Amino acid sequence: MRPLAFSLCTAALLACDGTEPPPGPSDHGPMAEGIYAELGAPAPYATPAQLETFERGRAVALHRFSRAEGLGPAFNVTFCASCHERPTTGGSAGLYRNFFLTGVRTPDGAFIPGMSAGSAGGVIRLYAYGDEHDARPGVPEATNVVAQRNPIPFFGVGLLAELSDAELLRRADPDDRDGDGISGRPNYDRGFVGRFGRKAQTVSIEGFIRGPLFNHLGITSDPLSDAQRAELPVDSSATAAQGARLWLVRALEGHAQAAAPDGPLTDDDEAPDPELSTEELFDLVSFAMLLGAPELEPLTDHTERGRDAFDAVGCAACHTPRLEGPRGPLPVYSDLLLHDMGPKLADGLVAKDATGSEFRTQPLWGLRPVGPYLHDGRASTVHDAIRAHGGEGERARRNYERLQPEDQEALVAFLHSLGGAAQYSPGLLPPDTPLAPVGTYGGPARALSDDERDRFVAGRALFDREFGFSEGAGGPRLNGDSCRACHFEPVLGGAGPRGVNVTRHGILDADGAFTPPAVGTILHRSTAVPHSANRAQPEANVFEHRQTPHLFGLGLIEGIDEAEILARADADDTSPPDGISGRPSFTDGARLGRFGWKAQVPTIDEFVRDAFAAELGMTLPYEEGQTFGRLQDNDAVPDPELDLEQAHLLGDYLRLLGPPPRAAAVDPGAEAAGALLFETVGCALCHVPELAGADGPVPLYSDLLLHEILAPGAPGIEDASAATTEFRTAPLWGLATTAPYLHSGEADTIEEAIELHDGEGSGARDAFEALTPADRDALLAFLATL
Amino acid sequence: MRQRWRAPGVLCALLATPGIGCDGATDDTDPTPDPGEVVWAEAFDTSGAGSLSGVWGTGPDDVWVVGGSDAGGEIHHFDGATWSEAALPAGVSLLAWAWGFGPDDVYAVGLDGSVVHYDGSAWSTLDSGTTDDLWGVFGFAPDDLWIVGGTPDQGEPVALHYDGATFTPRPVDPGQNSRAATALFKVWGIDGDIYAVGQRGLILEWDSGAWVERFAGPEADQDFVSLWGTSADHIVAVGGRSSTRIATFDGASWTTSAESGYGGLNAVYMTSPDVAHIGGVYGFVGTFDPASGAIAQETSLGSDDVHAMWSDGAGRTYAVGGTFRDPHRGFVSVRTVQ
Repeated sequence: MRPLAFSLCTAALLACDGTEPPPGPSDHGPMAEGIYAELGAPAPYATPAQLETFERGRAVALHRFSRAEGLGPAFNVTFCASCHERPTTGGSAGLYRNFFLTGVRTPDGAFIPGMSAGSAGGVIRLYAYGDEHDARPGVPEATNVVAQRNPIPFFGVGLLAELSDAELLRRADPDDRDGDGISGRPNYDRGFVGRFGRKAQTVSIEGFIRGPLFNHLGITSDPLSDAQRAELPVDSSATAAQGARLWLVRALEGHAQAAAPDGPLTDDDEAPDPELSTEELFDLVSFAMLLGAPELEPLTDHTERGRDAFDAVGCAACHTPRLEGPRGPLPVYSDLLLHDMGPKLADGLVAKDATGSEFRTQPLWGLRPVGPYLHDGRASTVHDAIRAHGGEGERARRNYERLQPEDQEALVAFLHSLGGAAQYSPGLLPPDTPLAPVGTYGGPARALSDDERDRFVAGRALFDREFGFSEGAGGPRLNGDSCRACHFEPVLGGAGPRGVNVTRHGILDADGAFTPPAVGTILHRSTAVPHSANRAQPEANVFEHRQTPHLFGLGLIEGIDEAEILARADADDTSPPDGISGRPSFTDGARLGRFGWKAQVPTIDEFVRDAFAAELGMTLPYEEGQTFGRLQDNDAVPDPELDLEQAHLLGDYLRLLGPPPRAAAVDPGAEAAGALLFETVGCALCHVPELAGADGPVPLYSDLLLHEILAPGAPGIEDASAATTEFRTAPLWGLATTAPYLHSGEADTIEEAIELHDGEGSGARDAFEALTPADRDALLAFLATL
Repeated sequence: MRQRWRAPGVLCALLATPGIGCDGATDDTDPTPDPGEVVWAEAFDTSGAGSLSGVWGTGPDDVWVVGGSDAGGEIHHFDGATWSEAALPAGVSLLAWAWGFGPDDVYAVGLDGSVVHYDGSAWSTLDSGTTDDLWGVFGFAPDDLWIVGGTPDQGEPVALHYDGATFTPRPVDPGQNSRAATALFKVWGIDGDIYAVGQRGLILEWDSGAWVERFAGPEADQDFVSLWGTSADHIVAVGGRSSTRIATFDGASWTTSAESGYGGLNAVYMTSPDVAHIGGVYGFVGTFDPASGAIAQETSLGSDDVHAMWSDGAGRTYAVGGTFRDPHRGFVSVRTVQ
């Protein structure tokens, strides 16, 4: 029996808001069968051959593209699943994967996509390698429209592709002729009704994949052939397109999976175009098309009450429960049409026929695990998202706000029941993820007591947890919304791919003197400030990448006695005069730095405080003896945004996180020879194989000292006591699984990294280059075991 | 295959789908057209041709169609009775557009800076001085030829002037390119006025020795691909990628309209001030009435795009098109009213 409370509420709604009557009941069921799957799994109707394609396509989505394979020259991320990972491959992503989308309003009012290291459909590229662009490509002055986009999930898109234009157009009411305050306009893509993207600007899944591959990864591709398109899970051949096209002249009806752009995409890096083969593209498109639809949970009394509230509030006027597809009614909870969402949500971006304040009704199936919500991820919760609705959604929002709290909760519970809730996680760790054993990646450094184990697990969860703007993420700038955002290769706590590089920047004068910009040397990836592109200070003229190092074994490094490190210092290169100096980094004049690319951080606790402030933009309370971190920031969330217990929990997790396990040698003989060469070539002069730790030797392959490894006079960034060309000897443990290499992430391979050594490293580099090919291979084989 | 459109009735498509007529009747192989009926028919067998993208001629018995493939450019000629393929010099890339001043004085331009000239007996190559792709050519006289091009999203837009002996770059000042266009697709002129259109809605006029940007309003936000007119104060430019964009010039200003539900347009040829023949993606062909702004689709010529249209002055309007990807293929259709 339906709870009485809701009936009263509904009555109250009608009574107090007589000028805005809610629409009638919506048609919620029954829905199509045989289309649902766990999020990220293939639809049950996939054939055996399609399932093989699906798996190959998923592998393409997870493949980290290297520079040699064509990444860049300008890019945002290195693999598709960077932005489609939540709760699993094919999904959405947290705030840290927001990207900037820009445009230029010309003097005559036209909207033209903005440029970023060339043309990328208005997408700002955050990274570049090579000489043509700065490491952070500039945002042209002409760019005068800036917005952010949070990635959207792909679950069920193949089913949306099968919808006919007619099914979408029959709900369109562009002039609101029925007077309900809800219009609904189709967008068009090459003459077909658009359905994908925040503004329904795309009709072709192939196009929706090729575009971002180019814009965000710099990966070029050729269009699929017509024969390949005919073999896709959703027929996208010219014949099918023509069938759909015919509808517009009222001759035939057909699905509109068509209009994929026909042109090859090219770039000017050293990898030959196309950088993705049409076979790989076929697999990737097939993977997307075959992702099963989120399955609605059976109604409970609570969610049924929420569903009734959903109808009464007026959500269903745009979030249409059912769209009729060839496999039956789809529980999309969207009309896939454009609606004006009012000035607060307006982003100013024109996308084909969509205006700056229009957005496609976001499908609600699979809603629970794919937050944050709204086009720019500004809403951490569904409740926040509803309350941000304006324009055509304002009436529904006001009606929602008038609901009793328990009805609001029921409505949200109903929305959470629209598929995928069991896969929800505050981060990316699936619920109940087991603890990795000691001696494996991600496991603790040693056997843990029960208390330590609980603390380790809680610390891991906090490390993984994503924070929203409403929780203080962004101060206002940020690089990540969680610790895991940057540290996940090969597992939680690991290194980061190039797509989470930190950009450092500064101002070098003609004499080489370095001045940090007003915002500090970090030029953040993102910001909580709407319509800001996080431009660099105009005077900034040096930009550097900082690859994310792994955190395995940090506790062991912290346990190394200071004297053990200082004993190897040779700042003046006098003992012996071998061309290798080694300078300790005293971070604040007194404490020895040992963490970070410039050894700028002295302890794990300070590292945690620094990362929360510098990377997440979050504040902590003052703590005696700690000088890193921020106590206050400039966002709207009261400070401190975190408490000390959270900082300590994270610190303890990192202290307990085990060192990277060493890989078994493929060729033990070569490895042994390589280990010897590592010494004779001179690598070990800085990459000291082990230092004495609190509980025995620590095989980190670093002296933790600063060395000049850039060419003298090369531009760079100062940090703490480290000069522009100085870097801490990077620990080599974990090397094999933490590509790319060097502080800049510039090297795809270990060999390239050796070749790029300069300054104090040039002697070892030259000696490496002088080795026979067999000896070089042996040395590389040894390094690959670390 | 013939496709019929009964103007000006309800839109109807017989298209490339066999056996379906606009009246629901079964198509026959040799229909008897109704009076005033528009018929689109294949001009010649293009199964051996590459992509076809330009058409120009001096009259019903002198029509040139240009195109090509990755293997090089190709040119087809109609003498009023027979279509034949012309011999081209080696090294000519895919050709995009043609223009001439008489049967013995024809130019064609194309990819990689290709410019070829026909002198009445043979085609020869001219050194344009650029390797950029060239998309459009127009001239008032043999010593006043204009060529435009450029690569979308790379480099700068290209404009050249040829005086019959020398090619001279006529670069676009970045200050006259608010849209940061890098390619111009067509150039056309009348009464001494020269206009070029290109990427992202850029419209330029050659004015006092320099290109000057002419603004066409907020809807001028997608590529303009082609233009034509019947007088200096009656010009139509067409384009669009996601949906149709049409800009009209009234002698004083340009105004752009957007039409949803159709794809982008590539081709325009005006046979009278009231009738612009237009063609675009997915074989779209139809007409545009500048006075009313109405678009009327006549048919779709297939799944490939229409790239160019031209009328011979004797009631035959050509539409040529194809696909610029391997395997290249093209078509030439001709419209008659019977």
